[in-house]
Amino acid sequence: MRLILHDLTPLHWAAGGAAIAAITLALLFVTNRRLGISGGFEDLCSLALPNAYFRRGAVRSARPWRLPFLAGLVLGGFLSAVLSGGWTPTWSLGAFATVVGLGHAGTLAWMFVGGLFIGFGTRLANGCTSGHGIFGLSNFEWPSLVSTACFMAGGILTTQAIHRLGVASWLS
Amino acid sequence: MTALYVAFGAAFGFVLSRSGAADYGLVQGMFLFEEFQLYGIMATAVLLTAPGLWWIRRRGHTALGEPLKVELKPMTRGTAVGGLLFGVGWSITGMCPGPILVNIGEGKVYALAALAGALVGAGLFGSLYPRLQGIFRLPPVATPRPSR
Repeated sequence: MRLILHDLTPLHWAAGGAAIAAITLALLFVTNRRLGISGGFEDLCSLALPNAYFRRGAVRSARPWRLPFLAGLVLGGFLSAVLSGGWTPTWSLGAFATVVGLGHAGTLAWMFVGGLFIGFGTRLANGCTSGHGIFGLSNFEWPSLVSTACFMAGGILTTQAIHRLGVASWLS
Repeated sequence: MTALYVAFGAAFGFVLSRSGAADYGLVQGMFLFEEFQLYGIMATAVLLTAPGLWWIRRRGHTALGEPLKVELKPMTRGTAVGGLLFGVGWSITGMCPGPILVNIGEGKVYALAALAGALVGAGLFGSLYPRLQGIFRLPPVATPRPSR
């Protein structure tokens, strides 16, 4: 399957996995940081919200590395587009158009609701695909195994419902 | 140091973009058991990170001689429930947290809505923390996480 981005052929999975491992290890070995992305949502929230939860030391001390790391992720996506045919704002979403098939406003609402699940869920589980799925599993941490099994199950059940049972078709 | 973190993030984002980890179709293909790509990526990443991590932890300090600190995540009732909720969101959007930012960088307009949702979701979690603490047996806010 080709990527939505400029119809590119994706990197071989072994190369992609090896690159992710190399970056994860370099981040720890050079800068003493445990890979984790969803924790960065808290750092962004802490810029605007005064709750005790966002003012705790673990959030404040992580901001100087997590915020630049998050900015880097955006930059990485931008460079990937620029170097493969140019950067243009786009709405293309591949199979989403036929399976869910919402207009622009509906797509934004759909993505916002999905985002709520991601933001709330990753904070409740204390990690996402990177902190639990890659770092935590590699470090043989039980909570990461539980969380990874649960988010894979949640994803499989939801996608089967949307893409096989057509649960979303009543929306459009 | 800031520039180094931006560079690490950019490298990570570039790989997520080009490997398909930030691609709606490949994410759904994974959950439909039709595409091996993302299973292959995750398995390779874990199989290679694990021995590297073991070696770095045995060494006990970073390349610059700093004592290593690896914060561990607590096991709570939220570990499973939160994972499940996150999985639902990953399927709905076709993005996990890193790819939300990568897709914004690529120019995917709808990813901005996913980011807005994720920030509101995280904000709700933090605001409701005192109430969620009892339900999910979450650790008190002030306690630093243990390190190994």
